[in-house]
Amino acid sequence: MAIAIRTENVWKTYNQGTHRHVDAVRDITIEIEEGTIAALGGPSGSGKSTILSLIGLLTRPSRGKVFLGTDEVSGFSEVFRTKMRRNSIGFIFQTQYLIPQLTATENVALPLLCTDISRSEAERIARGRLCSVDMEHRLDFRVAQLSGGELQRVSIARALMNDPRILIADEPSASIDEALTKDLLNTLRAIVDNEGMTVVVASHDPMVLEWADIKHLLHDGKLVKDD
Amino acid sequence: MGVRKHSNLASYALGNVLKYRTRSVAIILGLFISTSILCSVEFIREGVVTDVSTAVNEGPDIILQRLVGGRQVPIPYSWMGNVTNTTGVRTATPRVWGYSDVGSGSLLTVMGVNATEYGSMSGAVGTDILETGRFLNESDYRKMIVGQGIVDMMATSAIPLQIQVGTLLSLITFEGELIEFEVIGIFDSDSKIYNYDMILTDLRSAREVLGYDNSTFTDIAIWTNYGTDLSSVAFRLDTGIGEARVLTSDAISDLMLKAYTGRAGMTALLWLVVLLAVILLAFTASSAGSEEARREVGLLKALGFDTIDVLEIRMLESITLSLLGVSLGISFAIIFDFILGAPLLAGYILGWSLVLLPGGIPLAISLPTLFTVYAVGIIPILVAAVVPSWRNAITEPDVVLRGV
Repeated sequence: MAIAIRTENVWKTYNQGTHRHVDAVRDITIEIEEGTIAALGGPSGSGKSTILSLIGLLTRPSRGKVFLGTDEVSGFSEVFRTKMRRNSIGFIFQTQYLIPQLTATENVALPLLCTDISRSEAERIARGRLCSVDMEHRLDFRVAQLSGGELQRVSIARALMNDPRILIADEPSASIDEALTKDLLNTLRAIVDNEGMTVVVASHDPMVLEWADIKHLLHDGKLVKDD
Repeated sequence: MGVRKHSNLASYALGNVLKYRTRSVAIILGLFISTSILCSVEFIREGVVTDVSTAVNEGPDIILQRLVGGRQVPIPYSWMGNVTNTTGVRTATPRVWGYSDVGSGSLLTVMGVNATEYGSMSGAVGTDILETGRFLNESDYRKMIVGQGIVDMMATSAIPLQIQVGTLLSLITFEGELIEFEVIGIFDSDSKIYNYDMILTDLRSAREVLGYDNSTFTDIAIWTNYGTDLSSVAFRLDTGIGEARVLTSDAISDLMLKAYTGRAGMTALLWLVVLLAVILLAFTASSAGSEEARREVGLLKALGFDTIDVLEIRMLESITLSLLGVSLGISFAIIFDFILGAPLLAGYILGWSLVLLPGGIPLAISLPTLFTVYAVGIIPILVAAVVPSWRNAITEPDVVLRGV
């Protein structure tokens, strides 16, 4: 099977003040095949979210290279990286980052507003996506009116709006209970099976790690185990 | 990308105006207040400038007064010879000025002129700007031409009087007696300050009302020969006649502008303070200080919005808010000045000593003024809102979302 994502000796250093630098990830090399669900495990601060940001083109590596397919994307211009995010990558953020003043449909339609699809068409597609994650009864509810599980579903629906090749999920079970987590993982699995995308999940939840096809465990910014 | 994307972004921006209601209302309210202040003053200031220009055009080239000990005193007839013999002087005519009351409680300007000399000067007050009636004749005695403000004032007084040609109107003299005058004409001038509250009559009648003796007058109105340098004539008059105070039309214009618009600067300062507060508010709401706005930019970038898309959204938001705030402010100023007569403000700006009749405030609106007001309202808010968003938009979305 072809490689969908590859990081090659990737480092990410954050500057915190003039003389303080933190290596969030150190010398990480991983490969993820197309159509698989890969999990990044490890305790808080181990660098899981940073790797997701690097793969999702939200930030650039301080050293090393990131490949999506055969393209070495870490050297791409910001305009091209934005275009790739718009067309090929879907995000499920840890804190969802839904806009509280918008309805579920409006939040989900957001990624298509920067394309040439009309707003009404974007909202029609968004309603379809929400229905596919069993949210047809909450289409016009605002964020504050939704439960934790429902928020995650809205977040998933939004991540799928651009029919991404790669779906990135950061701690998707962080704010929901065990039953909802099972439900969420089943939904994600069904989507992957139907749409054939590659999923990378960061989590310290054992249930999520067991559910994934492959696991990469991190500690203190370093890869400690591939499974 | 075509029209649909821009339409989507515009729709999203307008949604943001409603979404962040508190911020939107604060910015609109701030702009409304600052623009109302600016425009209410500016319409009066511009009106004064226009009015002074009209008044100066309608008046003589030079006015000569007599100052003794820094105080204006009556001029003796003996000065007339020196003035008329000065090189460059075409016509010089004495005038008697002062204030009187028609029993309404408002002081009105009474000006006595030599009908033959004054009437021969094209452009002099009243000679070619009568709405109705005729100008004074040499033989006229106790006849008057009145300004439109007096007609309006008498029509709305406790005992209404419709002034027209032939109406009899009494003036209260310096000794408190009543002298009856017949109205023979009504001014039709654009000038509010100069002849709106003016009563023009002959020299003899004016002296009787104001208490001047037959050998003195208030000032001398001078018209110069065509093509003559005004300042040279003024210099010759100044050096040739001791105790003379020579005011050219330019100097009169400057004096009137200083007298009537001097306080506009103070109000402009108040406008500036309010505008700065609004700019600060817009900046804070869009900057790193607003976690919500910062995170929204990061999210949009993460979802594939280009930097230019984010800026387009913020620009449309700012322009919408600014246009609303400034337009409401201008509308309020128009109602306040033109319909309500700028209560309190007109007295403050023009000076409490100016006789203000109802409708007698000079007002004007020009397209350049409106353009300037929109520009000073919109551009700073635009910059204050867009610059922080631009800074967030060019930062990596990861950094913006995490706040690292």
